Amino acid sequence: MSTAGRRILLGAIVVYLILPLVAVFLYSVATVWQSRILPDGYTLEHYVAVAVDPRVQGAVLRSLALAVLVTLIDIAIVVPAVFWARVRNPRIRPIIEVGAAIPFALPWVVIAFGIDRLVGEWAPSWQTTFPVLVLAQSAIAFPFFYWAVDGAMAATGIARLTEAAETCGARPIQILRRIVLPIIRTGVATGTVLVFAVSFGEFALARILVGSSYDTLPLWQAQALLRTDDQLNELAVTTVLSFLVLFALAAWLVARGRSSGASLAAGAQVGTPTEAPR
Amino acid sequence: MSSVSLRGVVKRYGSVTALDTVDLDVASGELVALLGPSGCGKTTLLRTVAGLERHDAGRVAIDDEDLSSVPTRSRPIGMVFQSYALFPNLTVRQNIAFPLEVRGRPAAEVRRRVDEMLDLCHLGIQADRYPNQISGGQAQRCALGRALAASPKVLLLDEPLSALDALVRVRLRDEIRRVQQQVRITTLYVTHDQAEAMAIADRVAVMNHGRIEQLDHPAAIYDDPSTPFSAAFVGSRNAVPVVVRDGEVRIGPARLPAPVGTAGTDRLVAYFRPEEVELSDDPEDLPVRVELVVFLGPVTRLHLDAELDGGPVRFHLDLPSRQAAAHPVGSLRRIRIDPSLVRLFPAATEVHP
Ligand SMILES: Nc1ncnc2c1ncn2[C@@H]1O[C@H](COP(=O)(O)OP(=O)(O)O)[C@@H](O)[C@H]1O
Ligand SMILES: [Mg+2]
Repeated sequence: MSTAGRRILLGAIVVYLILPLVAVFLYSVATVWQSRILPDGYTLEHYVAVAVDPRVQGAVLRSLALAVLVTLIDIAIVVPAVFWARVRNPRIRPIIEVGAAIPFALPWVVIAFGIDRLVGEWAPSWQTTFPVLVLAQSAIAFPFFYWAVDGAMAATGIARLTEAAETCGARPIQILRRIVLPIIRTGVATGTVLVFAVSFGEFALARILVGSSYDTLPLWQAQALLRTDDQLNELAVTTVLSFLVLFALAAWLVARGRSSGASLAAGAQVGTPTEAPR
Repeated sequence: MSSVSLRGVVKRYGSVTALDTVDLDVASGELVALLGPSGCGKTTLLRTVAGLERHDAGRVAIDDEDLSSVPTRSRPIGMVFQSYALFPNLTVRQNIAFPLEVRGRPAAEVRRRVDEMLDLCHLGIQADRYPNQISGGQAQRCALGRALAASPKVLLLDEPLSALDALVRVRLRDEIRRVQQQVRITTLYVTHDQAEAMAIADRVAVMNHGRIEQLDHPAAIYDDPSTPFSAAFVGSRNAVPVVVRDGEVRIGPARLPAPVGTAGTDRLVAYFRPEEVELSDDPEDLPVRVELVVFLGPVTRLHLDAELDGGPVRFHLDLPSRQAAAHPVGSLRRIRIDPSLVRLFPAATEVHP
């Protein structure tokens, strides 16, 4: 493809990605936006309205808590599990992989109904509670973490490095903390962004498990769409806010990866092995 | 007192017997090279001593302490892996400090010891580089420093030079030997390179199919192989099929008494080294034709075809290279072999490494 052609294609992609965001942002600061290309006037009152609306506050806090908790749970469970499967007992890998394929193979609505039935049968008092939502969300989001971390471990030969660390006298927890985690940092970061984003924006599971007991952000947004009283600007505000949250998280992780990985990356260029061993 | 001791050690992977009742004693401060072709069980033996593999039978001990139930991290060993396995997220200095830090040694001691190791392994300048910023030889010495840092009783090296090019290899081999003797550490050194094993070891264990075929000093193994495998693997020997007739074996005019236990018409293989074959003018000696001349540096190897009563046979003969020009391809010569240098083994077990 010619350079010009490539530029046009790239430009088209950027427009396709950016335009909706810009439109949503404009709508969130518009007074009235009906018959013209740009809004008639600009205001921050929708942001204020959102900030003081207790239902929105609750929904945002709950979604944040959900995303943070699910991410922490998945890190705490998946990293040691993948480590174990890669280093100690490769035979459990097929089992984990089947488990990690289920959320992709079955519609989440079906999984959600299953979980709801299960809870209703075994622990009715827990139905619609926040902890159940957190656990269910952790279960269906973990594959995103699994594939990211497993790939990182495979790429760096973790099994061999673990053996080397064992011959150095290190205990498993020291190996995880000092060797494995720093090396698979990129995989963990990728998994974190994915799991956080999925949990923060997840609708179907929350809809079925929580019903109308309380809101998460996506639940509130869905209701805002259906209501007739004019809350569409507030909807735009929350969309912009959730985009900013995810964008900030991703940017932070990328920046962190850069700064701590910088010495390694720079080294690849500096370190042309020129000196002959003595 | 023996420092490392293996008794009847067996290791199986499914139907593969990687170690077949191995007995081995390594004296304190001694360097024993495990020499054998790829797949003969060298790495498995090393990993069994390290506790990275569990043996199915037998006893592994260091200083008479049975290690069967001791996990790798508590064994008094240091190991250098074939691919070094340096931690990519740590600098050279941090790699060497790692075994000390995980054992909770005080910071001052760690620093002192790491400096000592950097010095010992000539790594001062590279101390703050990451593994991907240093050469293969430096990585190799860093791995050695890391293995020695916590003052283990036994050092295990798995083909530590195989990833390096030939020039660096010889230098580092001597370097490893220097460090080993300076620290006086009991060492198991795995290699498939017989020259490397001969050059570095106090004793060489020749391995084949999960067994130790011969364990002796390098010169003894070179001069007096006790099995056909040792004979074929160590040094590049002539392997000439011969037949027992009237209680003796003849290679041209050379006559050897048949080994005890062989009968008439038994088929044997005679092993002898190329430098032990001599050109001669005696019309009694074996006529040969020069088929190929291979320049090997200091010596040149002549490939010679001859007729023995068993059929056509190819001999290798090494000459100082300066004398080789007198024997171009196609020339007819006579050769002689000193019967006292020939080793006879039954033909059934003939080995081509
Ligand atoms: N993890 C394993 N699983 C199955 N077979 C193995 C394993 N490791 C080694 N083996 C087998 O054991 C034998 C000895 O291997 P190894 O000790 O690596 O040989 P060497 O180091 O001398 O080349 C080989 O036949 C090899 O295929
Ligand atoms: Mg090996």
